[in-house]
Amino acid sequence: MLHVVRVLNLSRMASSDGIGQLRRAAERAGRRASFAAVFSRSMLLLPLPLGYAVFALTLVKAFRLGQVGQRNLLLLGVLPVLVLLLGVARVLLAKRPAWRGSLALDEFHGFHDRVTSALTFSQVPEPERSPMMQAAIEDGVAVARSLDPRRAVPVRIPPEAGLVAVLALGLYGLSTLEVRHYRQLPPPASFEPMQMSADDIELFRDVAKELQAKNDDPNALVAVRRFNQLVEDIAEHRLDRHEVFQRMGDLERDLKDNVDLDQDARDEGLKGLARELEKSGLTKPAAAALDEKRLADAEKALRELAEKLKKKEGRPNAAELEKLRQALEKASRSNEERLKNIADRRRELEDEHKSLLKKKGEQPDAGANTDPKLADNERRLERLDREKSRAEHGQKQMSELDQQLAQAARDLMKDSQQSAQDLEQGAQDINRMAKQEASEEQKKELLKKLQEMRELMRQQGKGGKDQMQRLAKFGQRARGHGGQGQGQGQGEDQAGGQKPNGPLRLGSGPGSVTVEIPVAQSRPGEGPPQAGDKPGSGQEQGAGPGAGSGHNKDLAGAATDLKGKTHDVTAAGADTGQGAASSQVIFGAAERGFVGRGYKQVFTDYQTVAEQALSKDEIPSGYRFYVRRYFQLIRPRD
Amino acid sequence: MPDADQAREEVSEFQKQIGALREEIGRVIVGNREVIDGVLSCMLGSSHALLEGVPGLGKTMLVRTLAGVLGLEFSRIQFTPDLMPADIIGTVVLDEAVAGGRTLEFRRGPIFANIVLADEVNRATPKTQSALLEAMQEHRVTVGRTTHTIQEPYFVLATQNPLEMEGTYPLPEAQLDRFFFKLEVPFPSRDELHAIIDRTTTEQHTEVRRVLTREQILSMQALVRRVPVARHVQDYAIRVLQATHPNGEEAPELVKRFVRTGASPRGAQAMLLGAKVRALFDGRFAASIDDVKATALAALRHRVLLSFEGEAEGVASDRVIAEILKKLPASKE
Repeated sequence: MLHVVRVLNLSRMASSDGIGQLRRAAERAGRRASFAAVFSRSMLLLPLPLGYAVFALTLVKAFRLGQVGQRNLLLLGVLPVLVLLLGVARVLLAKRPAWRGSLALDEFHGFHDRVTSALTFSQVPEPERSPMMQAAIEDGVAVARSLDPRRAVPVRIPPEAGLVAVLALGLYGLSTLEVRHYRQLPPPASFEPMQMSADDIELFRDVAKELQAKNDDPNALVAVRRFNQLVEDIAEHRLDRHEVFQRMGDLERDLKDNVDLDQDARDEGLKGLARELEKSGLTKPAAAALDEKRLADAEKALRELAEKLKKKEGRPNAAELEKLRQALEKASRSNEERLKNIADRRRELEDEHKSLLKKKGEQPDAGANTDPKLADNERRLERLDREKSRAEHGQKQMSELDQQLAQAARDLMKDSQQSAQDLEQGAQDINRMAKQEASEEQKKELLKKLQEMRELMRQQGKGGKDQMQRLAKFGQRARGHGGQGQGQGQGEDQAGGQKPNGPLRLGSGPGSVTVEIPVAQSRPGEGPPQAGDKPGSGQEQGAGPGAGSGHNKDLAGAATDLKGKTHDVTAAGADTGQGAASSQVIFGAAERGFVGRGYKQVFTDYQTVAEQALSKDEIPSGYRFYVRRYFQLIRPRD
Repeated sequence: MPDADQAREEVSEFQKQIGALREEIGRVIVGNREVIDGVLSCMLGSSHALLEGVPGLGKTMLVRTLAGVLGLEFSRIQFTPDLMPADIIGTVVLDEAVAGGRTLEFRRGPIFANIVLADEVNRATPKTQSALLEAMQEHRVTVGRTTHTIQEPYFVLATQNPLEMEGTYPLPEAQLDRFFFKLEVPFPSRDELHAIIDRTTTEQHTEVRRVLTREQILSMQALVRRVPVARHVQDYAIRVLQATHPNGEEAPELVKRFVRTGASPRGAQAMLLGAKVRALFDGRFAASIDDVKATALAALRHRVLLSFEGEAEGVASDRVIAEILKKLPASKE
């Protein structure tokens, strides 16, 4: 009996172990079937994204699509990828048929559902199993060892895999393929050096030289050297137009950073100081010098006052000293008071502004009256703000001098020696300001020259070669070589309407530097209208030897009657025999040079007047350049 | 565990008996293995078979041989248009006793045999046909007020000739449904014909011996009923059955187009019982999908009714069923 039970137990254990084996084999087969399904679906759908990728890559390579096009293609590519993913996900998530693995095993091995039936019956509770069921389970278990899930569910390569492989290879090939596009490249930019006439280069060299000689401020000297280098580079044709403007812009920017452009604020501060110092007889000379911006004189006057205070003899009396103290004290506070006054006035205006605003809010009908007042009020406030800003700036610049003066005032009643030292320090401060002002003047001068240079280049480049020609003509006229207008032509090169053989040569005369300016090539016989030696008959102003015979149609009235009744009067000077002989006069002039100091003086006078006119906006902006250019051209040359 | 061994022994015995049965029948019947297995399946499934084939293919011989081998009571009824129900069921006669006196006695008709051969069943009138079919279904006959039970095993084999349709009364669908299998008897091959001629045109006369007793047959029928069917197999049989209906979920296009009405649930019963018998034939303890597939044609061909279009196109129901078996996967989620 015991033996039978033992046999039964062993048999059960073997059976359960065999069922486990069956189950594992069935599960493995099921997993393989799932994988095969996913693989098959992937192969079926993969041609879609791959095909799209090939298409997109072809488009990108063939048509050189831009970033936007590529991005759109990429976005569109999401669709086939999504289809693939959804298709695969659907297979993965699909409900699997029951016993798929075991049925596949049965089918492959020809077991007539022995495995599946055994697994099915094994789920029936043991007591409920019929003998036939048990026998069927054991029958299934008996074949468990021979099961081969790998062969039963082979993962076959679907026919679509060929297409996938072809597409993948195509994609790889495309990605490595370099599509060459022939592109019409713009011709390489030729280096066209900036052209500047030798005369102008000489002008700017002179400017640089002059500034260098005047200046001893290291910063200003650096700027001048940079300017000089720029001029030299232009002269050597080392720079093109773009580089020239860039370097000029850099230099200008650096200069502007260093120059205190609000010099007026300092001048006002000095004037305020002068007004207070004038109240004392002892500081009157210094006040006058400060008022006239003669800082060196002011320094000198202060030093003299300091010396006077140091000396025991001839010292000012107490009343004078008290006046001096008061003047110094007030002078030291002048900027401060000015600021205070501005603040007071601003406060008053603000109050007024508020009341006007309130009035406007309460009486909307009164708007017509209050609006101009409000606007005026706002303008005044803005002006005060500007004044305040300038006063603050001035105070900042004058702060050291103010401190010295205040200290001098404090020390004056205690110790005149100490006060004298304070005044000397104040004088030193004025000296510093004078130097600073001189340096800034030089920088401003350099800035001005830079601006002139820029304007010259701008004008030259504005109208192309025609403008160059016009400027050249202008230069000739300015120097007295031209002026013939169209009636007289432009010299031998163009006489008779022949084709010019070379560039137009500009120069101030024999021995001078010649600058070649390229001119437009014209065909033979197509030169500008010439008039040779005939009297000017054109409609424009001419300078021929005879009177013009034409008539400008644009002018009203009849043509000039050349047969006017005029009288020629000849006044002959009487030779008194006094003075030097003519030969002596010519010799003397030659010794001094024909363009001598007299012309320089005349030039300077005229230029000063012209600059004043320019600064007063009396010259229209379009002509300013020509006025300045005229003076550049007719400047006296050494 | 001893139960399993016993089951194994029973199945083994079943196989032996079937082997012997086949061998003995084979001594008389040449070839027709599938028809023989089909007939045996019907018998072991406690049901009836309809044999269809042209005359002279040995249908009657097969049934006669079977009856001889099984040692069961056998009767043959030749159906004719003038055959009356009483002719097959039997009738009540006035019996004059020797001792005197008269009694009404029921004289059993040929239907009261274990194996009944209803030859050319479609030649009888529907009235007579229905009398037979009632007996087939109920395994009993009611005459007057008395019900007469037919002895088990009861197995009717009806034959019909597909060619001579004139003057016949085709069996209605409801009556066809009562046949477990409809077996088509194929024309013998050349070799089989040689063997048939050798056996029938010489002096050789083969006497079959009795192989099984009535009890053994009943025991085998009981064993068939005990064969378990796994859920997936049963599910497959049901799905096949559903697929024969044009509105079935898994019905193929051919069914949707050419089938008027699909098989009744008796079709599934026939498939599964046939599958069980086949499993036992193979010495297996459970029916399989393959068994269902093997029995599907015989079990369903007379139950699938073609539409007019199908008839006109000459679509055979066998083709429809084969299409279903081909398209239907073994398992479904």
